[in-house]
Amino acid sequence: MADVTRPVSIFEQIRLVAGLRWRILRNSLRKKNNRLDLIGLIFAGVFSSVLIFGLCFAFYAGAYAFLSQGRLEWMALLFWGIFLFWQIFPVFVAGFGANFEFRTLLRFPLSLRAFYIIGLAYGFADFSALASVCWLLAMTAGATVAKPGVLPAMLLIVAVFMLLNVTLERLIGSWLERLLARRRTRELFLGLFVLSMISLNFLSPLMQRYGSSARPAFLRLLPYLAWFPPSLAGRALAAITRLQPARFLLSSAVLLIYLFLFSALLWRRFAAQYRGEELSETAAPARAAARSTAATDDGSDRLSLLSPPVAAIVRKEFRYLTRNGFAYLSLLMPPLLILVFSMNSAGWHLTAGGKGVSAEMFFPGMMAYLILILMAPAYNSFAYEGRGIQTYFAAPLLFRDVFLGKNLMLVSVLAVEIALSLAMLAWRVGLPSAHMLVATCAAIIFTIVGQLTIANWSSITFPRKMEFGQMRGQRQSGMAVLVAFGSQILMGGISAVILFTGNWTGNLWLPAEAFIFLAAAAVGGYFASLDALTRLAEEKKEVLIEALCR
Amino acid sequence: MPEMAIQTQKLTRKFGNLTAVDGVDLQVTAGQFFGFLGPNGAGKSTTIKILTGLLAPTSGSIELLGVDFDSNPVEVKRQIGVVPEGMGLFERLTGSEYLKFVGRMYGLDRATTQRRSEELLDFMQLADRPKTMIADYSHGMQKKLALAAAVIHGPRILFLDEPFEGVDALAAGALKALLARMTERGTTIFLTSHVLEIVERLCSHVAIIHKGRLVAQGSLEELRAGISGEAGSKTTLEEIFLSIVGQDGTERPQLEELSWLM
Repeated sequence: MADVTRPVSIFEQIRLVAGLRWRILRNSLRKKNNRLDLIGLIFAGVFSSVLIFGLCFAFYAGAYAFLSQGRLEWMALLFWGIFLFWQIFPVFVAGFGANFEFRTLLRFPLSLRAFYIIGLAYGFADFSALASVCWLLAMTAGATVAKPGVLPAMLLIVAVFMLLNVTLERLIGSWLERLLARRRTRELFLGLFVLSMISLNFLSPLMQRYGSSARPAFLRLLPYLAWFPPSLAGRALAAITRLQPARFLLSSAVLLIYLFLFSALLWRRFAAQYRGEELSETAAPARAAARSTAATDDGSDRLSLLSPPVAAIVRKEFRYLTRNGFAYLSLLMPPLLILVFSMNSAGWHLTAGGKGVSAEMFFPGMMAYLILILMAPAYNSFAYEGRGIQTYFAAPLLFRDVFLGKNLMLVSVLAVEIALSLAMLAWRVGLPSAHMLVATCAAIIFTIVGQLTIANWSSITFPRKMEFGQMRGQRQSGMAVLVAFGSQILMGGISAVILFTGNWTGNLWLPAEAFIFLAAAAVGGYFASLDALTRLAEEKKEVLIEALCR
Repeated sequence: MPEMAIQTQKLTRKFGNLTAVDGVDLQVTAGQFFGFLGPNGAGKSTTIKILTGLLAPTSGSIELLGVDFDSNPVEVKRQIGVVPEGMGLFERLTGSEYLKFVGRMYGLDRATTQRRSEELLDFMQLADRPKTMIADYSHGMQKKLALAAAVIHGPRILFLDEPFEGVDALAAGALKALLARMTERGTTIFLTSHVLEIVERLCSHVAIIHKGRLVAQGSLEELRAGISGEAGSKTTLEEIFLSIVGQDGTERPQLEELSWLM
């Protein structure tokens, strides 16, 4: 008979899980790609640290100023800032909770209480949570320096506020995880998310135009915000500073009610997960239906000029594009961005009264911005292939066909996007002079084709698998991001210098001539690179297959 | 002399200090139904990946249908079909789209690709969900689709890595019949499986790899005779396998060591 194991304490379990995550990280560093990826992450970490510590100072100074100057109601603003960041930022960074799937721990003999506490502890491992905790501590320090007597109350409020935020964040994350378990729901959600992000760009021009009439309505809403946790935290602190214990107790009690409510709801969610909630998305077997032969016919071949493998890859890429909610929607962005920017800063639109950037500079500037956005995915162009990458290596073709197919699709998309954007520009701002138009068009060819060569190299050297319509754990390879960043700065810098040489030398057609030469060189270089990249793909195929078949 | 479908010489693959495949000399005659066996981690999947171009060997040579793989990879790949370990499917295509994609990648014309993909989907009982994406297929359905894609161009050698894993008994029966028919018509099938009964029933020839080395190769009769010392013996493949792989006495787990569990 097997021995019965002794119960393991919650802290021991958390220690074991932390150790597990550390070992996973340490072991992953045995691979060169993961080490390079870590370098990229360290760069990102340095930037993030600057943001966190910079804002720590701001929160410290804010809390100190509001308390020392007696502007106690303003403290709520600081709590609101942290609250919104803590709850909304995880959506921006595409993930709720750490990448490690803590539900896998359910196979072990955990009690529901232990499962709940570990789940909550994971919430503190998020970037948003870590940053928010730092800012809350900075606020506490600022408030204490201004009025040392508030320290005990501040500690209590901050502790409840932290617990409330992490509970709410886990609750939202857990509900979203359930709702987004099905692929279609996930993609729909992602589409709505992207659309809402695009819509945010219209806020500024709309505020310029309708801000004054919307203000009274917004002010009428303000009193209702007073009953939300950040306002309550601010009011509790103001009450204790003014020595109003009854108001402090009332605000703290409502804050605690929120905490208990969120905790009860999260307990219910975790209890469902603990019981083994099924989140599978595989379709149930369906009764066989009669097959329609005609319905599967592709019709005439519109890509007959291409070789069959390249045409097959272009067709497959097009299907993938139309089924990738994020990529599909990102195509809407360029013309929309031109609309937004032109409303904000350019040309003869109604709100700017004709005082904006000239079409002469707006056109190349916007084209550079569009290329920056649309070329970024090309640096990890196999991200969505998954296990299908094996087909490319098993099929009787050279990898140059794969690059050609994928690049052809991207260039077609870019051509359509640029044409749409150009039409939008002509409508909103007007077209630039002929020499600027020609120079910019040639510069577009130079920067796109030049980047394609680098992007192809990056895609096979630093591959990173990504999932369609998925938010959790979606992160580009750190090195691919650095390469993209570097080459975009290089191309953009070269293009900017050449564009300005026209003005400096007085020869307005000089940039156009230079860009035509560079574009021809880039096209030649692109085709010359294909064979070398094919050999490199053959050398790197194990890395590619391993990275994408996970 | 019979045509050789697969011939390797001193095929070796190292991962750092680990030699996953160690000087393997395989010889498979055209038209054979060849079973490639070995315990977990023996090097079966690594060998199949090398033979299909998914992994480069550290050293050694491969000839498929008399053509050197290293110098003519495209020509060789045109002649083979493969169901790799992860199945290699593009999950955002429908089954029909994927088969058409593969058909065109192998150079079939559109009409042939269209006709064959419809026939294969029908045969694999996948035709009733024309709009379902592969991501939404069950594991067994994906396996059947991967097999359909591997045969759409009529390969002369078919490499199958655990083809029956996750496939229901009904479909498995149909697949076995299909594979048997293909060998009758001259296709060479190179198959790995952990289910020895399947290998014993389907395969005419078997090779056993152990710790990266080829430890046995031949027809089932030859292997039986090698073990029992007499021709026509009734030794099962499992007995042959255990006898060869467990020869050094270290392979069989010793139950006595787990006395605390009993």
